[in-house]
Amino acid sequence: MAQAMWIERKQDEQGAAHRLPLVVIAGQPNVGKSVLFHRLTGRYVTVSNYPGTTVEITRGIMHHNGRRFTVIDSPGLYSLSPITEEERVARRILLHEHPDLVLHVVDAKNLARMLPLTLQLIELGIPTILVLNMMDELERAGLQISVDMLRQQLAIPVAPTVCLTGRGIPELKELIDEQLTCRDSAMALSAGD
Amino acid sequence: MSSSPAETVRWRYPPAIEQAIVEIASLLRGSYALSERTLALLLLEGDPEIWEEVRLQEFTVTLDRIRALCEQLQATSETPIAWQIEQQRQRWSQQIASNVLSQSSDPSATLRTRILRPGALAEHIGRLCMNPWTGFPILVLVLYFGLYQFVGVFGAGTVVDWLENGLFGQYINPFVERLVRAIIPWSALQELLVGEYGVWTLGVTYAIALILPIVTFFFLVFAVLEDTGYLPRLAMLIDRAFKWLGLNGRAVIPIVLGFGCDTMATVVTRILETRRERILTTFLLTLAIPCSAQLGVVLALLARHPKGLLLWAGVLVGVFLLIGWLAAKVLPGSSAPFYMELPPMRLPSLSNVLLKTLARLHWYFMEVFPLFLLASVLIWIGQLTGLFDLAIRGMRPVVQALSLPSEAAVAFLFGFFRRDYGAAGLYRLNEQGLLTGNQLLVASVVLTLFVPCVAQFLVSIKERGLRAALVMFVLALSIALLTGLLLAHALAWLGVRV
Repeated sequence: MAQAMWIERKQDEQGAAHRLPLVVIAGQPNVGKSVLFHRLTGRYVTVSNYPGTTVEITRGIMHHNGRRFTVIDSPGLYSLSPITEEERVARRILLHEHPDLVLHVVDAKNLARMLPLTLQLIELGIPTILVLNMMDELERAGLQISVDMLRQQLAIPVAPTVCLTGRGIPELKELIDEQLTCRDSAMALSAGD
Repeated sequence: MSSSPAETVRWRYPPAIEQAIVEIASLLRGSYALSERTLALLLLEGDPEIWEEVRLQEFTVTLDRIRALCEQLQATSETPIAWQIEQQRQRWSQQIASNVLSQSSDPSATLRTRILRPGALAEHIGRLCMNPWTGFPILVLVLYFGLYQFVGVFGAGTVVDWLENGLFGQYINPFVERLVRAIIPWSALQELLVGEYGVWTLGVTYAIALILPIVTFFFLVFAVLEDTGYLPRLAMLIDRAFKWLGLNGRAVIPIVLGFGCDTMATVVTRILETRRERILTTFLLTLAIPCSAQLGVVLALLARHPKGLLLWAGVLVGVFLLIGWLAAKVLPGSSAPFYMELPPMRLPSLSNVLLKTLARLHWYFMEVFPLFLLASVLIWIGQLTGLFDLAIRGMRPVVQALSLPSEAAVAFLFGFFRRDYGAAGLYRLNEQGLLTGNQLLVASVVLTLFVPCVAQFLVSIKERGLRAALVMFVLALSIALLTGLLLAHALAWLGVRV
């Protein structure tokens, strides 16, 4: 009874899909979330360049190594303290839909400005992969990121990608699968907890 | 491996905050989805949702104790705790970023950026688009070449002429008509298929020969603008003008989208911060923003009357500003502050542009084609039962008050279905030489301001509620007719001929 607010997982039209592990794509506006969603699920969504088009939530299924995962493309959010309606929707998904894995997509060029949200996600204890997108633009600006060091400092998996061209996507899919499968076996071990 | 809660404590906030976190966490007894430490942190940040959740689960004594701890901590410093916590996160982020970022060791990359700096020129152009002195001239150029010349003159003029009058008018339609009249003996059924408003003559011909080429050209231009990153810069440019309307630049996004499709734009008003802004924007979309299909047909109609086209745009901008300003005065509240992230300016990628155009065309055609056919069938039934004539007769006084020929009533009737459909009805009248330049202008203005299309109306109900949607419907209809009336009389009084 006391948990009424937290358990509002809707048994909607995709009731069956809910039992699949849930991957949520989150991040600031304009970092390539929709493109990544398209890359992972292969389902077409209108890919746009201006902030705030992902107002409606798009769901899709990702297939990998014979396993299936539900993927949700959440609206852009700057921080977990929402100002706009879209941000409230994104927060609701992160806090109430119980994602098994969050892909925090960031613009690699603006890493410093995007990391606070990553830190918030880590603080929330949600399993997170940091997706460093637009690596090509970073490289074109004559910069590079030490992915290994970033992985160590944040203690979460980090995946460099260029979603527009598909660079790094196979590795990311592998990583997602690995995270969710490991988590499942870890859950099985600690069952009854 | 996935992060365990233990890892999340690796970052330490300043001692006073850390101590408050630990104390608050130790007080929490309810069962939560989040860890106690996370909850404590969110409570300190004043997160309203978490406070509500905790209020439901904890005893009043505990709540008082937590509140006291927060106040105690706040009393020790002048800046809000939430701000301090956010600052700390930003410092960590800066630190991590500077640890992992470095200049590329690949000499060719550095060389490229030093000498060519491909991003620098784009950045410069981007800034020019936002500066009022250069931005508005650029906007005029974009509108003139992108919309008027490419969509209006070339797409809606040359291509439509060739398709509608040439291909369909001379070859396909006469053939289909002969075929139908030869095969089907019943005249009522002949009327349904190839009559004046028949499924083929009106539905198929309009959808394929008139609307399809026009929206194709429009969607192409729109996709290019979208892909370059021009639209958000346009939003920044217009922000100031919008403040005056009690809106901020954020509202430019749905408004600009409205030129693509008002229905889609109405859905997008969700990105606006307050209910007030959402209502204002939805209303302006309903009233003064023509959608792509309608815009295309109006451009085609008025392309041969440049003066009329300018007046049409002038009247629309005037109505938009006036009504926006009035509505902002009537609706209480002030505009929310605006911040927006600017994506980089890029050269549009051809595949992206084509993909977007195709996807939109597909969606548009799927929606529009059945409606066009349905309209033909409805009109056919209306004609058989006499309801059609009754409706036209009912609208005749209105049309005559606007100094339009009574045949224009049909176009207005069409306008209730879809915005572009009404304009297409005018197109037909114009081809038959029934309209003077002035009448064309008045009819175009009224049809542009006219009621939303069926789809937009339904979405407005869903987004804003039935009452608000109905009020907007009636207001838009009244303003449209009133503006048309004023315009017709002003033109006559001033002796203007376009």
